[in-house]
Amino acid sequence: MRRKILSAALGAALALSAGPAAAEPVEIQFWHAMGGRLGEVVNELTDKFNASQSEYQLVSTYKGGYEDTMTAGIAAFRGGEQPHIIQIFDAGAATIINAPGAVYPVEDLLRDQGVAFDIEDYISGVRYFYADSDGRMIGMPFNSSTPLLYYNKDALAEAGVEPPATWEEFQEIAPKLKEAGYVALSQSHSPWIFSENFHSRHNLQLATQNNGFDSTDVEIRYNNEAMIAHWSAVKDWLDAGYYGHYGRDWGANQDAFVQEKTAMWLGSSGSFGGLQKSAQFEFGATYLPHWKAVADEPYGTFIGGAALFAMSGHEDEEYKGAAAFFEFLTDPEVQYFWHRETGYVPITEAAYETAKADGYYESTPDAEVGILQLKQPAGEWTRGYRLGFYVQIREVMYKYYDQMLSGEITVEEGFEKIEAEANQLLDRFHDTYAG
Amino acid sequence: MAASEDIPARAAAAARPRRLRISGRTLANHAILILGAVFLCAPLWIAFMSSTHSAETLYREGLQFWFGDSMLETYGAVMFDTGGVTKNTTALTMLGNSMVLGLGFAIGKIVISMTAAYAIVYFRFRLATPFFWVIFLTLLLPLEVRIVPSYEVVASLGLLNSYTGLIVPLIASATGTFFFRQFYKSVPDELLEAARLDGAGPLRFFLDILVPLSRTMVAAIFIIMFVVGWNQYLWPIIMTTDDQLYTIVIGIKQVYQVLAEGGELPQYQEAFALTILAILPPVLVVLFFQRWFIKGLLESEK
Amino acid sequence: MKRAQFGHSPIPYLFVGPQLAIIVVFFLWPAGQAVYQSFLLQDAFGLSTRFVWFRNYEDTILNTVWLESAGFTLLFSALVSFFSIAVALLLAVRANEVIHAANAYKTLLIWAYAVAPPVAGLIGGLMFNPFIGDLYHLFNAAGWDFNHTRDGFDASFMVILIAVWKQVSINFIFFLAGLQGIPASVQEAARLDCRSDERRFWTITFPLLAPTSFFLLVINVTYAFFETFGIIDVTTRGGPGGATNTLVYKVYTDGFLGADLGGSSAQSVILLLMVLGLTVLQFRFIERKVHY
Repeated sequence: MRRKILSAALGAALALSAGPAAAEPVEIQFWHAMGGRLGEVVNELTDKFNASQSEYQLVSTYKGGYEDTMTAGIAAFRGGEQPHIIQIFDAGAATIINAPGAVYPVEDLLRDQGVAFDIEDYISGVRYFYADSDGRMIGMPFNSSTPLLYYNKDALAEAGVEPPATWEEFQEIAPKLKEAGYVALSQSHSPWIFSENFHSRHNLQLATQNNGFDSTDVEIRYNNEAMIAHWSAVKDWLDAGYYGHYGRDWGANQDAFVQEKTAMWLGSSGSFGGLQKSAQFEFGATYLPHWKAVADEPYGTFIGGAALFAMSGHEDEEYKGAAAFFEFLTDPEVQYFWHRETGYVPITEAAYETAKADGYYESTPDAEVGILQLKQPAGEWTRGYRLGFYVQIREVMYKYYDQMLSGEITVEEGFEKIEAEANQLLDRFHDTYAG
Repeated sequence: MAASEDIPARAAAAARPRRLRISGRTLANHAILILGAVFLCAPLWIAFMSSTHSAETLYREGLQFWFGDSMLETYGAVMFDTGGVTKNTTALTMLGNSMVLGLGFAIGKIVISMTAAYAIVYFRFRLATPFFWVIFLTLLLPLEVRIVPSYEVVASLGLLNSYTGLIVPLIASATGTFFFRQFYKSVPDELLEAARLDGAGPLRFFLDILVPLSRTMVAAIFIIMFVVGWNQYLWPIIMTTDDQLYTIVIGIKQVYQVLAEGGELPQYQEAFALTILAILPPVLVVLFFQRWFIKGLLESEK
Repeated sequence: MKRAQFGHSPIPYLFVGPQLAIIVVFFLWPAGQAVYQSFLLQDAFGLSTRFVWFRNYEDTILNTVWLESAGFTLLFSALVSFFSIAVALLLAVRANEVIHAANAYKTLLIWAYAVAPPVAGLIGGLMFNPFIGDLYHLFNAAGWDFNHTRDGFDASFMVILIAVWKQVSINFIFFLAGLQGIPASVQEAARLDCRSDERRFWTITFPLLAPTSFFLLVINVTYAFFETFGIIDVTTRGGPGGATNTLVYKVYTDGFLGADLGGSSAQSVILLLMVLGLTVLQFRFIERKVHY
């Protein structure tokens, strides 16, 4: 802070001496968790924004993984050195949104700074995930992905089967794939794909209090019939050799698909680019399957990924800059660039139309699957969830899923334990944040 | 490593013809020691050999036991290029940071503990005893148990992502002070008396007599502390979020994350190359200054 | 204390000052904070705070996850200490006996001291990698259905093996020094008295090494508690199913990744008490050694 005041004073002094033409641009700090190729794209976005105007200078800083970035933001906030904009991932949303006054809701920010805002402009699956219970957008979805089924075209042809739209169909084709020498399926993120999105896909309630949006006094509803049935099936598939479990690392399960050990793999819409580089075979992407027995027609999925939050405690002048950056980000051309370069879905309808008009999906039809899935019919329980200490709850899930699959405990026992431990954590979170 | 690897084998072979009557015990001794050496050295050998092959070879054929042909390419990429397992930084930058941490830690710790031990041993002052106990207390509080608040303190001092914030919280622990306290106590009192007769003040005595006298001790402790500093992990991963300040040991975590995230063909050869680069400097220091290292280790841990 | 000392002067304060300042700022203050925070429920951003007495202790310590983690930590420490001490002792005794190539053996056995735990972890992890790891394939070929990504026992086996590998060197150095410190006359007498190598070791050498062993036990337990963090963080990350979650790893994940400051602090305080116990043990031993 002190340094900022100093540089502001210095800037003012310089401006005085050199006349108004040389006014220093206002610096806007942006902390993100996009490393590697994604980080390069963020840097390109930053340069584009800085070139597009002269009043603000956006400074993007990579702060490590999602957890690291959140931790860095928390510590900086406690030390009064918080950035203007920070990227927070889905599981951390409740932590930042529930802390009283840690963020400046993006919808308020845009309105206060006179930027036109209509939540209806955003794609339906994306719209409310980072909103509060009244539907006010708190964080702006930034990198949004959704779970998809990737399949090895050669393997499926060899077994003479089509990619499954439902888990019932999967059960029919799995033995044929096994005969052809493949494990039918692996997946890379059991909390995200086989728990959270399982609920939105079938329009099932995930937690009380409107999936946690209405209050922190909430109980988890993972211990339900559909989940138990699904995981019992997964365990059966594992035992029958239809399902490969290569630990909790995202990469190991994906590698199994790339190495043609498994014929199909559930990953993220953002995995497309990486697969194109590493897979030595033709592959396709399709929707996340659902159980016909649970929901006749599938519902849209949740998004994964992260959102941008404006942190409180800054000058109005700086918020103007933050708003300008958010406005820049929602520009259809910028969104299309982001979508094309990273594989994340565009967040606005207009951006989607731009990509379509450009013929992007004719050349790369698989890139559209994710958006189409997010645009599938919404239900009462498909807007998202808001649960505290969700990072730890995911750990609890990983733990008992591992134990369920290894046969240490039954599926029923597993869900009882998940429910009990998750509720204990939610209870703690409620007492921490409501206190 | 290739040469030293077969030294025991050669030595054992050479031992045989000279003495015809070799007891079973001697044979067993060598067998056990060779097994032990293989247990310790094989992983390093395999890591080094595997780092000289291409990603495709490793992916297809698994670990390697002999030199491949992409050594220069791999080490070049890891050292000087961003991207791959080093992401936004390079091994060269990370080695530089590790060097700063290792040296800063060792020097800082030695200076601070030498002076503090000097004050405690050679002066009669009112707060000497409480000071001693405060210093002693730090032995009870490993960094791990106060990691969250330590982080906050450093954050509130604005020292995150700085060498100061990286090094200073690590150097305060008392091990060095105890070490020098022990050493000063073994210095004959006559030296001080003689110095006094010559009219040397406390400062002169410290700089002209005690410091030169401590030279070998300092060298020994320096080796240990350099290695300890170089190998720091938990504090740096929490402290540094700016990848330009990553040490090579933090680079290891990053490699792990890159491999765990997957997505592209895993660059195992680069991962192995980075482990070799992380191991080499401290190991060379230890082996090169073996005598001092062992002396330092035995003395400092007591 | 020295008999000869300097009298009153500001110099001692200046000399002891830097260390004290660092200790107060980076040790005492944070440690006090840890204790204080362990009684608070506070949101991550520090915007709302409640004093809750022992709630954090109840929630985190009386919790199955913590108890399982504590159980694993104790077992892990016992096994790591036992095996790394046993292997090192065996090697040191043999290295002390050989005449030929003694220095070469010594060099080959001590260098691993300088390897950082996470580096050992990464190499070990890759040796066990399901796609390229030879040990993984070896165990499976030998009929052990080995899979550390799925099986808690296998994962524990892997981290223990890596932790032992990394720790053998330091134990070896101390044992060898201990053996070489046994006076030649004692060794000579022992050789005359006791013809069996086996018996000589257990009746004479081992008791003489007991102080070293005890001291190493403390060092090894401390290592297994704290420094193995680096190994676990780049191999199993506490998994699968929480099977390799040590207490320190849990403090880190709860506090840093989970943003639960109160719970994490409470666990820190418990750890602190454990270290205190260890240190008391260590000092009682040191006193004994002084008499000895």
